[in-house]
Amino acid sequence: MQVSVQLFGAFRQYQSEAQLQLDVPCNATVRDVRQAIANHAAAHWPGFSVGLLQASALATEDAILDAAASVSDGARLAVLPPVSGG
Amino acid sequence: MLDYQRVLVVDIAQQALDPAQALAFVSDDAHGGIALFVGQVRRQSHGRQVLGIEYDMFDALALKTFAQAAADAHARFGPALKVYVAHARGALKLGDLAVVVAAGSPHRDEAFRACREVMEAVKHQAPIWKREHFEDGSTAWSEGCSLCHQGAATEAPTAATAAAAAISYDDHAH
Repeated sequence: MQVSVQLFGAFRQYQSEAQLQLDVPCNATVRDVRQAIANHAAAHWPGFSVGLLQASALATEDAILDAAASVSDGARLAVLPPVSGG
Repeated sequence: MLDYQRVLVVDIAQQALDPAQALAFVSDDAHGGIALFVGQVRRQSHGRQVLGIEYDMFDALALKTFAQAAADAHARFGPALKVYVAHARGALKLGDLAVVVAAGSPHRDEAFRACREVMEAVKHQAPIWKREHFEDGSTAWSEGCSLCHQGAATEAPTAATAAAAAISYDDHAH
């Protein structure tokens, strides 16, 4: 199944598109999406820092998600690097 | 919208933040105190000359974070409290206003504390990212606070966690 992941902050420097379309296993969890992002980064983002992803949360428009939370086909998620507002 | 809070994201290309609007919103004839925090773009960052900054933002979740911070303050400091939060999105010049938080309450102590707690939540929990543009032409996304530990918990803060957050103000410079 596929999910979309919106990119913010430091993630935007790795590609011009602000959104990823990723294939993840059926019955995927947030942990699987995180792995799919890591795989995509390794294949397409030269110089990507794994630490950035490790320090980043995954979220919907409503909440930050636990790693074990299930993800449905077509889900729209966002990857949130460490925040620096204010 | 709840009548005790107003939260908004302002596209800086369309309009500037307006502290007077914040003061007007939190004013009430039951209030004896209003605390107002205004954050603006400063000239230096880590010893480097800054020309300007830009804010990237996950608007929907940022607004929910602002609203939750206001609700937490309302629950903590009493039903008379009113809270206003506005944060800029887009490209800002030196001196431009980046964030405005105001809290109004019957007494000054609650107003000060609510304003501080809401501002800290905006800074450390809201999905907002700052990129600084330096005089030498380089740019850098600011290092910030990881949201990983927050999980889906969205639990109401306990007295202990609130106390821990209060203590952390002093050793948390950014």
